[in-house]
Amino acid sequence: MADGSGGEEPADKIVENPLVDVAAYLFLEDIADTQGAAGMNNYLISLANSLARSMPEEEYPDWDSFARSLASGNSILSAFEKVKVTGGHAAVTEVCPFRRGYREYIQRVGEFAKIHYEVAEYYNAQVQPSAIDTQCIIHQTFRQAACSRIKVGGKALRFAHLACINYEGKIKQPPDAWLPILLEKAGISMTEMNMLLRSNSAIWILYQDSGAAAPAKP
Amino acid sequence: MLDVALVALISDMSEQAGVQGIIQYWERVGAQLAKRMGKEAYMGWPSYNVALRERRTAFSIDGDVTALTDLAITDEDGDVVGYIYALKDCVFTNTTLRIRNTVGSLPSADQEVAEEYSTTVRNTAVCNFCVIHQKFWEEAAKNITVADRQLEALPLAQRGFQGQTKIAEAPLKRIGVNPEYIRSLLRNYACVYALVMKGSKGEETGDKEAAEKPKAAKRGG
Repeated sequence: MADGSGGEEPADKIVENPLVDVAAYLFLEDIADTQGAAGMNNYLISLANSLARSMPEEEYPDWDSFARSLASGNSILSAFEKVKVTGGHAAVTEVCPFRRGYREYIQRVGEFAKIHYEVAEYYNAQVQPSAIDTQCIIHQTFRQAACSRIKVGGKALRFAHLACINYEGKIKQPPDAWLPILLEKAGISMTEMNMLLRSNSAIWILYQDSGAAAPAKP
Repeated sequence: MLDVALVALISDMSEQAGVQGIIQYWERVGAQLAKRMGKEAYMGWPSYNVALRERRTAFSIDGDVTALTDLAITDEDGDVVGYIYALKDCVFTNTTLRIRNTVGSLPSADQEVAEEYSTTVRNTAVCNFCVIHQKFWEEAAKNITVADRQLEALPLAQRGFQGQTKIAEAPLKRIGVNPEYIRSLLRNYACVYALVMKGSKGEETGDKEAAEKPKAAKRGG
């Protein structure tokens, strides 16, 4: 089938239907109408946490086997997006998994509702300054919650968001004071981060509290 | 990702708002989607069917929709007042497959919502998402005119992910089509609906005469 319907395709080739995508956005907007930006923000966080909780936990004997699972799409972290590991502890998402739904929305419904940006501003002020719109809130919360379900070498996996770029090219990166610390943790330079943002939608960091269990893979 | 997340949340929603609450939520979403997509006007059925084929109409959001042009619906004068349309795949199939690959089985609330909707609203739901889909059709049709006449959408038949089927007898009587013929369509399609000019084939509810004495002779089968 042309659009990946019917269940004959590999899992990573199955794409959701436009109606489902757009309806999901409108459902979230309906939540905002009744509960405001704060309520929608809480709902999105709950949604992402709930999704991660509903997926099986993972454990890997070492960092290499985790990185292989991540790259091959077998990890919970790469269930919805193609992920590449670069620069030691930086992971990049090539195409945002929300892009298709977003494009369907702007094509069929019109301009993305302002509430999606207003809720992101609320999140940036209340949680952490890392979201461009509501999709980022779901995405980043999901990654955080998913990491808490993964153990590598018996130790918990940790997540930190570094930077992202939206469909229109708007970049969100951490405050200047945080940037050097996060870049060091990721194992990439500022220039490398900007280079990665040219062809990827998000850069994030996977690490463990004790560095011994997570050797850098250039 | 968002589709899978929402389905994963259905169980929580069911606990908090009940299955009736989910139905109300989904109906609002379907109505809102149709409203946001705006109004359309076509000179006649050929231009509407071309728009559908070229994915320009609101109904094109369903994906691959086939206009079954051999099943034109006519009034007593023989004028075409509607057509039957069919979807090869349910719009929810891919989400169900993605859930199976990432989370596991669908939450039981999925079928609970479908059963409640089939009992209390119309007997046409095979999954919880039919609620959004059919409300969307209902409201989107109201926003479309063909030859200056508003349309009405009639869900006719559905085949669920596990093969379960629903055939809506009353609307089939209204448009004079044999249910067995529609059942045979489900071998090749997952979802069948009709678009008719409003008022041309009786009303959806309360028009028992239209349901019991269809003007057109039964076709198909």
